[in-house]
Amino acid sequence: MSFTWKKLLIIGLLTIVFIVPPLVMEIGTAVMNLLIVLFIFIILSQSWNLMGGYTGQINLGLAAFFGCGLLVTHFIWKAGIPIYFAVVAGGLSAVVLAGIIGLPTLRLKGAYFAIGTFALAEVCRIVVGNMFARMVKMPGSYAIDYSLIPRYYLGLIVVIITIALVYFVTHSKVGLAMVAVRDDEQAAQVTGVNTFKYKVYALLISSFLAGLAGGVYAFLRLSFHNITAVFSPIWTFEPLMAAVIGGAGTLMGPIIGSVFLVVLSEIFALTLGEAHLIIFGLLFILVVMYFPYGLVGSVDQIRRMMSRFRWSISKVQQKM
Amino acid sequence: MQTIANGILVGALYGLVALGLGLLMGAMKFLNIAHGTFIILGGYISFWLFDLWGIDPFLSIPLVIIAMFLIGLVLYIMALSPLLKLPNIGMRIDTSMLVTFGLIWVLDNVMTMLWTPDTRTIMTSYTGETFKFFGIRFSITGLGGLGVAVLVAIALYFILIRTYFGKHIRAATQDAEAASLCGINVHRIYLLSSGIAIALAGVAGVIIISTYSINASGGISWLLIAFVVMILAGEGNINAIIPAGVIFGLLEAGSVLVVGVPYRQAIALLVFIVVLMFKPQGLFAKKD
Repeated sequence: MSFTWKKLLIIGLLTIVFIVPPLVMEIGTAVMNLLIVLFIFIILSQSWNLMGGYTGQINLGLAAFFGCGLLVTHFIWKAGIPIYFAVVAGGLSAVVLAGIIGLPTLRLKGAYFAIGTFALAEVCRIVVGNMFARMVKMPGSYAIDYSLIPRYYLGLIVVIITIALVYFVTHSKVGLAMVAVRDDEQAAQVTGVNTFKYKVYALLISSFLAGLAGGVYAFLRLSFHNITAVFSPIWTFEPLMAAVIGGAGTLMGPIIGSVFLVVLSEIFALTLGEAHLIIFGLLFILVVMYFPYGLVGSVDQIRRMMSRFRWSISKVQQKM
Repeated sequence: MQTIANGILVGALYGLVALGLGLLMGAMKFLNIAHGTFIILGGYISFWLFDLWGIDPFLSIPLVIIAMFLIGLVLYIMALSPLLKLPNIGMRIDTSMLVTFGLIWVLDNVMTMLWTPDTRTIMTSYTGETFKFFGIRFSITGLGGLGVAVLVAIALYFILIRTYFGKHIRAATQDAEAASLCGINVHRIYLLSSGIAIALAGVAGVIIISTYSINASGGISWLLIAFVVMILAGEGNINAIIPAGVIFGLLEAGSVLVVGVPYRQAIALLVFIVVLMFKPQGLFAKKD
């Protein structure tokens, strides 16, 4: 783990760029909203990435952890406990949910894991939809002093925690074991890696992050007309798309993918309406088929192609 | 009794829904997440035929089969055939899952643009009519669905067991490399069977639109049902899919009596997960 000065400088600059502006000047509500949504997407796609990109277990039940974190945060906050504790509680509740439903499904392999988690997320959606048939909302007093700035900072803090957590996990022994599980589970098992244990670690951390994202969303929006909407598979699928388009199994990939997805959908929302999803879908298919390492990896691919090209040119020149 | 009858009628439909998915997964190891979306697409084609030319949904099935078969060929050439180059089967399943997942977004939104997000159904003169048989009510469209499901399953069985084409499919399922060494054109087999799989999805869509209703984003719930039935039948065990569908339908209908309508789906899915965990090879697996 070597921090070079260059890296530190970039991180410092980025933090200043994100922390200072809301304090000194007024950013429009639309931009603020967009940034917070972007934060939620980054958290969720990192969370999926830890499971799907690093450990190689395609989790289609992310929405359940997101929704669980959201509900718990919402009700704890409603009980008068400060939001920061409520968000942490939301994250922990998602971990508990992961312990209950995730551990059995982790026994499943490959595509069966994906189907199993998908089915469990649907079970959660149905059960919660039946429990909270009416609108779920905060009392009016919370809406009076509603401002986006604390939401922004909460989102920022959680994003920083997420990225740091994913960075440290993947640069540790645990991360190495996860990658080993992804690349060849049997070989990892033979060399003495307890694959099940590391899959559980990945699932627990990933669900914790998804729960935190739910907490941020609960803080952002005070009322939910239809609570099943936060359990809907869209909360699994869009982060998955962001992570894969950006590059699954890399730290920067999900961030770039989320920025790409959120910014493009905002641009196209005015001109194309829902049609931007068609473009995303096609792009997603192309990325999966031709750039398995996503946008991040494609930069490397192109660079390698360029260097090979240059090398062959120099060969030709030598011959002449 | 009424519950059992309903369960059987719904279950046959569930089996029909899962047939195409089971064929793709069993024969070619492609996991088609967009299966539910293709079902909806088939339903919409039938809706169009009914709306524009007044063709009865049950009579439109052959037309839908032809249209969806062509779509299946295009799907295989454009999206699935490049995946055959992947080194192992696990990767093929995962990647095909992701590719067809992107396809959901494309198709869903194309369908929303073409047919608006409204819920659509076909109202024929006999929709909602029932007839009584020993005091049990059967809906006519439900019975039609049962008939079509059984017919399609029998046809598929004969194609797979009695024709050379079916023999080739089964050979390619067992060992693609050895089959191609024996002079079977594996690519052609794959091409045709993915056409058949998508056509089966289309047939299921026609039955669904005549019995229930569909909307552009409803593919996911049907996909889940198809998954469940496929797992219950056991991967690659295509003949067991219709019985597995009936079992699932009975289970759902039975759980209505126990826990009430709202939790019906949840119970069925929980049972599915239990089966997945303790008997992942399916209920109908032959003992070795």
